[in-house]
Amino acid sequence: MNRSFIALSFFKRGATSVLILFLTVSLLFVLVRIAPGDPSQKYLSPNLSPQLFEKVKSSFQLDKSIAEQYISFVKNAFTGDFGVSYKYHRPVNEVIFEVLPFTIIFSLSAFAVQFVGGLVLALWAFHNHKKFLDKFLSRGSILLYAVPSFVSGLFFVYIFSVQLKLFPSSGIKTVGTLEENIFLLGLDYLHHLFLPLVVLSLTGLPIYFKYFRQHFEEHQEKLYTIYLRANGVAENKIFSRHIIPNSLNSIIAYAGVDLGILFSGALITEVIFSLPGMGRLTVNAILEHDYPLIIGCTLTAGVLIILTNLAADLIRMKIDKRLIKGLIN
Amino acid sequence: MSITRKNIFIFFFILSSVFIGCKKESSSSNSQVVIAIPSDIERINPLFAFSINEANINELLFLSLVKHSWDENGGDLKTAPMLANSWEWNSDSSSITLNLRNDVKWSDGVPLSIADVIFSFDVYSDPAVESYLYGAFLNFITDKDNHIIAEKTFEKLSETKLKINFAPGSSPSLFNLDFPIVPKHVFEKIPRKDIATAKESFAPVTSGPFMFEKWEKNQAIIIKENPNSFLHQDGTIERIIFKVVPDYSSRLTQLKNHEVDLTEYLKPEDVDELKKAESFVITSLKGREYDYLGWNNIDREKYNKNKSIVPNKLFGSPKVRQAISMALNRNEVITSYLRGYGELANSPISPIFKNAVDEKLLPYSFDLAKAKTLLAKEGWNDKDQNGILEKNGDEFKFTLTISSNNPRRIFAATLFKNTLKQIGIEMNIEQVELGMLIDKINNKNADAWMASWIIPIPLDLKFSWYSNLATTPMNFPSYQNKELDLLLDKLETKISKKQKNEIYKKIESILHRDQPVTFLYWIDNIVAYNKKIKNIEVTPLGTVHHCWTWR
Repeated sequence: MNRSFIALSFFKRGATSVLILFLTVSLLFVLVRIAPGDPSQKYLSPNLSPQLFEKVKSSFQLDKSIAEQYISFVKNAFTGDFGVSYKYHRPVNEVIFEVLPFTIIFSLSAFAVQFVGGLVLALWAFHNHKKFLDKFLSRGSILLYAVPSFVSGLFFVYIFSVQLKLFPSSGIKTVGTLEENIFLLGLDYLHHLFLPLVVLSLTGLPIYFKYFRQHFEEHQEKLYTIYLRANGVAENKIFSRHIIPNSLNSIIAYAGVDLGILFSGALITEVIFSLPGMGRLTVNAILEHDYPLIIGCTLTAGVLIILTNLAADLIRMKIDKRLIKGLIN
Repeated sequence: MSITRKNIFIFFFILSSVFIGCKKESSSSNSQVVIAIPSDIERINPLFAFSINEANINELLFLSLVKHSWDENGGDLKTAPMLANSWEWNSDSSSITLNLRNDVKWSDGVPLSIADVIFSFDVYSDPAVESYLYGAFLNFITDKDNHIIAEKTFEKLSETKLKINFAPGSSPSLFNLDFPIVPKHVFEKIPRKDIATAKESFAPVTSGPFMFEKWEKNQAIIIKENPNSFLHQDGTIERIIFKVVPDYSSRLTQLKNHEVDLTEYLKPEDVDELKKAESFVITSLKGREYDYLGWNNIDREKYNKNKSIVPNKLFGSPKVRQAISMALNRNEVITSYLRGYGELANSPISPIFKNAVDEKLLPYSFDLAKAKTLLAKEGWNDKDQNGILEKNGDEFKFTLTISSNNPRRIFAATLFKNTLKQIGIEMNIEQVELGMLIDKINNKNADAWMASWIIPIPLDLKFSWYSNLATTPMNFPSYQNKELDLLLDKLETKISKKQKNEIYKKIESILHRDQPVTFLYWIDNIVAYNKKIKNIEVTPLGTVHHCWTWR
């Protein structure tokens, strides 16, 4: 397979992704505008003069047709200008970039805990195959998966924050501190984010555990494993060099989508722990009919999902070169 | 690979040691107070203080010419000097002369002067700015765009003396001067239409008893005492942190955990538990918000088609609306849901305005028999014995639209549905998202709905009860009454306080008689705060009010 073919395939994939994003955003642009309600509603109050109400409506371009608004949006979008947020009164890009670093770090951390935690627990269970620990972890993971994060969140806050007073119940750092020592500041962040990280991780950890556990068992019985075993290859080697990489392949495909979704925001965890993430930003934008911000958040989430999927595919190709042709096509 | 119990133990031991060593998040310090707010603010610029939290924060950062506080005994507002030391009205109240303080400086050290005052009136009334007060300067001399004409309005008599001329025939009051003054030297450099998005609207230069310190977006707004303010006293709270906590349960937890010191809008069911903790003061802010059942008084389809005013088949008659009001067990909601944190509403005039309400006017009592008789007199009978009243072939059936995220209204609607059924009225409940509800009410696409009003202080009724629907878009029930219009117009003329109160009583009696909507109950805003804070005065004007006197 030559390089130009690979380059062309990547270009095709990139072009398709841009087209999908464009269509998604265009559809959303129309949908949010035809949905009941408009951004001027939040200004309705006894103090609002009729004159101001009219001005507010016109400043949101609500007096223009959807087609006119769309043309103006597309023109600006091509220059990277997605407009000014109705709520934050700042460019949409600026508002999103403010919460994006936190969202990425927080999501990546939760993802790492879920993935590594799931793998470690699966290994542990697999090595204790059909023993009490295996059964305990398998049943426990179902129970954990069944507990929604708004329940586990409040439970953890009650135990570790209210009763034991070990962790703060919300926020990303101690409000109002002017901490200059980077180590202490980092520790403060960690102190605040520990509980949310646990709560967010608990929702995904059982899934990875189940996936890994199931794949280990499946690959254990595959012909290639039996063949290796028959050739006298050590069990440890079979496991680490063959079973784990082969199991990883399909799990990484799922992980790519999962990470993308995590990047789009973990609404419930963000609300319970008052975290400034993409989830809260997006939902507030929807509730307040902040059209430019809704579009900006959706586009950002879309780009992140496409990128994480691409990264997942690249990793899979790296692990198993046989997949290259199928994936780039 | 194996993980031993010993390894796990060591991991948790290290983790616990690290975090126990971390500084505990605590608000409990005399030098600062943490107030929980449910959502972040949009800007820190009094020109755009559209929300209550924005208004509260701006009030602490910016001074007005005069200040109003609540007189509990008189049940009305009282005026106190602020930037204006004293004032004098001319004989026919067509102008006022203000004597301004000369010891006030902006937080960047520039003295606050008459130029700032004139600039503020100019910028607030400028249509290009779209300030929250645009269109509210009706008593001033303005151009056709409602922009104050500064040359005709202001006369600078000296460095501290300013004369303000009002529009001929208007009835100005000191309320027209009670809004935060903004710094001219900061905003004059910015094109008017760009002020809303300028960086100065996010990190302001201030003049009040507190100064802006920091805004951690979506986390907290921090303000600190201004030792140079004439309002500053020994013992003033050094910092006030408005902490953004969107989730109600989290706000409650943080209050109990002493991570925040004050929170508002508590649910009545949480009060008993907080009382047990003994470290909180529980109080309530009364008479600012009432729930109502809105009836479209006119045929909405005909109005939306050609703006014609035709009485609604079901709710067009005042007697029918009276009957419905009698068939609603409002007291049940007050005792069962509000647990006593509310009182029956008679009209949109709150009982806090002691001199404006008619104490002899009694609420409609829950009386199904009387309601049924009244409906029968209006021609509504159940001739076919199917349990639903009919008149001229139309059955008394309708849909009540309510917001899906309000448990109080869902509780009340269910209760009312059952009692209305007993008098032969079938009410279906439709729960929709709040935005959709507002959209329906605003565009006259609902026959019946449940919502609330937070009433303005000073009292203002015209915005929602004047008959002209073109100029009164917030007359959601489309109530039509010429007699009431005359009274509302009269309130805008030069009349004494006593005369005004008499008019309010007449208005109350008309609205009580006509029941354009069913006024349900005034809902208390339950406030809890840490006992360590002293001098908090919770009045109808708010909780976060006069914070500089807190200790």
